Amino acid sequence: MKQVVPLEKARDDAIFGSKAVGLGRAIRDGLPVPPGFALAGSIVESVAAGEKRAIKEVAKRVKPLGGPLAVRSSAVDEDGAQASFAGQHLTLLNVPSSDELNAALSEIWWSANSDSAITYRKRVGLFTRPSVGVVVQALLNPDTAGVMFTRNPVTGADERVIEASWGLGEAVVAGIVIPDHYRVDRSGRVLERKPGHKTVAVRSVPEGGTVEEQVPSERVARLCLDDDQLLELNQLADRCEQVYGPSRDVEWALAAGKLYLLQCRAVTRAGL
Amino acid sequence: MRGVPIEALRRVPLFSDLNKRELQEIARLFKERRFSKGETVVQEGSGGAAFFVIEAGEAKVFVGGEERSILGPGDFFGEIALIDEGTRMATITASSDLLCYGVTYWDFRPLVEKNGVIGWKLLQRMAKMLRDTRGVEDVSQAAGNGRESSGSG
Amino acid sequence: MSRTDEASELRFEPPGPGSWELDAVHFPRPVTRYWSEMHPEASLKGVQDFTRFYGMLIDALEYQYVNGFAYRTVRPLAETDVPQRLQRAEEVIQGKLWREQLRDWDETVKPASIKAHKELQSIDPSSLSDEDLVDHLTRCRNRHAEMIYQHMRFTAAAMIPTGDFLAHVGDWTGLPAADLLDLLRGTAPVSAGASTELDHLIASIKQDAAAQKLLESDVDPRSLLDALRRQESETGAAALAYLNLVGYRLLDGFDISGPVALELPDVLLRAIRAAVAGNGAESLIDGDRLADISGQVPDQHRAQFDELLEEARLTYRIRDERGVFSDIWASGIMRRAALAGGQRLAANGRIQDAAHFVDAGFEEMCALLSDADEPSADELARRFEFRASHSAKEAPPTLGPPPPPPPDLSGLPPAAARIMRAIDITLVALFGSSEAQHDVETLRGLAASRGVYEGPARRVSNPAEFDRIIKGDVLVTESTTEAFNILLPLLGAIVTDSGGLLSHSAIVAREYGIPGVVGTREATDRIADGARLRVDGNAGEVTVLE
Repeated sequence: MKQVVPLEKARDDAIFGSKAVGLGRAIRDGLPVPPGFALAGSIVESVAAGEKRAIKEVAKRVKPLGGPLAVRSSAVDEDGAQASFAGQHLTLLNVPSSDELNAALSEIWWSANSDSAITYRKRVGLFTRPSVGVVVQALLNPDTAGVMFTRNPVTGADERVIEASWGLGEAVVAGIVIPDHYRVDRSGRVLERKPGHKTVAVRSVPEGGTVEEQVPSERVARLCLDDDQLLELNQLADRCEQVYGPSRDVEWALAAGKLYLLQCRAVTRAGL
Repeated sequence: MRGVPIEALRRVPLFSDLNKRELQEIARLFKERRFSKGETVVQEGSGGAAFFVIEAGEAKVFVGGEERSILGPGDFFGEIALIDEGTRMATITASSDLLCYGVTYWDFRPLVEKNGVIGWKLLQRMAKMLRDTRGVEDVSQAAGNGRESSGSG
Repeated sequence: MSRTDEASELRFEPPGPGSWELDAVHFPRPVTRYWSEMHPEASLKGVQDFTRFYGMLIDALEYQYVNGFAYRTVRPLAETDVPQRLQRAEEVIQGKLWREQLRDWDETVKPASIKAHKELQSIDPSSLSDEDLVDHLTRCRNRHAEMIYQHMRFTAAAMIPTGDFLAHVGDWTGLPAADLLDLLRGTAPVSAGASTELDHLIASIKQDAAAQKLLESDVDPRSLLDALRRQESETGAAALAYLNLVGYRLLDGFDISGPVALELPDVLLRAIRAAVAGNGAESLIDGDRLADISGQVPDQHRAQFDELLEEARLTYRIRDERGVFSDIWASGIMRRAALAGGQRLAANGRIQDAAHFVDAGFEEMCALLSDADEPSADELARRFEFRASHSAKEAPPTLGPPPPPPPDLSGLPPAAARIMRAIDITLVALFGSSEAQHDVETLRGLAASRGVYEGPARRVSNPAEFDRIIKGDVLVTESTTEAFNILLPLLGAIVTDSGGLLSHSAIVAREYGIPGVVGTREATDRIADGARLRVDGNAGEVTVLE
């Protein structure tokens, strides 16, 4: 059995975990997910155990991605999408290259086997050894990134709600800035454009990791998405709904003129 | 090769009476784990998942917020919560960058069950701890048993 | 028209034969038409289930609604059913049959309910077509009725062992129920808002610097909760699991008229922050209290004391769990579906406000989504306004003939008498209020939970006002239900108008370890919002300090 496969080949979530399989499926359905590889739980464990053969294989297979890398754990959970599996949700942004990958994999393995992870598993009735797969993708260096709801989660209205800021989506997801706020109807017509207060951009750093950069003052309140880009986002929302169903919560990034899909989940929010 | 160097385990009192083959078997089960200075290695009151041996660096042991002892290379901790599935008895913090070798419950238990020598050593250690908490003096303790870890977990 | 005029124009006729008593404890405000249509039958079925199961000598407690106010009557048992019940009572005592129900709850019913609710709430009703939404509303409504039945089915399982314990130990020691209930503290973590999911979320946040930073930022609460959920870390997964568990629970009450947790993200967020800060009072089982009380039990009863205490401690948590995992959740899911219907009708101008849709009866909801003309927007608005502007204080406390004297238990065989007495004590403790006289500045009520606390009063009469609660406030309200325990990390003390020592306010205050004074009758009339209070949960007194 192959323990490292291109993402689009990851089909078995008992081996690669649900994140890898989800992203793989998105790629097969033609969604613009950044390319990458899925690592099976077994090889993650081998790397954490210091097995030279495994370390070499992973480095070799992942090399074509170049660097820097986004490394995410992919939970091999027995309970489906709703489970919250402690320790199996670590993301290591910007591992500089495949040579530094084993430290990242070791960290992910230990996170899934930490005291709190195991305690939680036991409390929810799982007494088996955990297994954690890993997704390795090329780390984007986006100009703009953010989130999008394919339906207004507050009013239930049939429109897209988009929040965007400069740089990596971290700035929006971690609440570091007040992002631009847009509403676009299903036909692509822009209903609202509200500039945010985008003082900080998160960027990746060549040696590894990320850094918060000051945004030049003239860009702080300038809209970071134009109407063409909003149209593209609307089309992406359409495609996500076709593949996954209505009311999706999407994380996206625009890098070198191309729109990428990073995450697509069901919305958990009540309106009114 | 998988696991950790046998030299690292050889000097741990728990494993000191094992032969090379036995040590190799055990070393395969361990994995490296690093902690940065200041990181909490083990939290008092939390459930336990792994047993650790210190290879390099220093860690401090706190019980109820009070510093009790300092651990260094060759010391081990964490076995108690793995054995009785209870909670961690102390908080252990890395006082310098720390390199440990750890083994989780699923490998630790078969290890002990298969290897009676290790089991016996653990029992000796528990007996000592029991006496210590009861405040009874142990004559052999005064005689010195070589380097014993005073960590608890 | 002024409020009192309207109320005095309401006619209150007994809804059936027998004597009826107002239930202001569970229903401090008028209910929606939807609720009044559905609750009586579902509830009756559940009560009849437990009276049969436990060999009780009544047929049921029945609810009916008059002008939206809840009234309750006791339906007597047919003579011919008595022998069977007496026999059953014997079996219940001998076999401790409440344990059977407890096992059923833990192993089958509770997990199945959680699973079903998670599935139902994974559908976003606002994305459904009108036709599909009608189907979805039907499913939610049927589920809700089923869950009300389920809630009532398990009522006696908690009441009987607790009442049994209070009855016997009260006789042996002469100690008041408030003291004895102390021995049950710590056995009902759900009442204190606890859950594996919340513990996990707190633990994750404590180890996650990025999450802590996020939690401290002043991003608006809705976005902040979203952001927490999105973290690609243990915190994100834990937040998602926690929100999936509590997000669609009603924050207070049982009716679809009240908000669910996710509608008040500010409240949810502040509760999470307070829980992470770990300033929630610890509810510990006190070994000294146990020794003290058991020491007062005569030697020949000591063994039975231990046994009774064990049974009470085992079952105590069912009291709140049976609501929280059953209808309080199902009601929230129904509310969400109803609001989705309301949103689209408000958007096209058919009704004035999305929130008014909850005032349609169920058939009416389906009709409105199929373009019916009735009820009108004005009619729904009127009903909504009525509920918001009236409270159970205006309704007559009884309807119909005066209640018969309580039955003489002394003529009954011991098992049957024991069960009836246990239920009786818990009913009194649930619904009772204090008879104590008040002073100018001091209100008196039942000392429900120990401790003394000083802080600002937060007068909350309406669940939508919960977002005014600030950490450290004293909650002053008519009564509360088990749903609102999510807010506990914010509160310093609880004061209520109605309810006895086994009312939810009392249980929740005890479990969470904050002072509580219940059954004051008049707290909401006499305490102004923001007034500085001293709440003395030992003496049962609330003093206005300024």
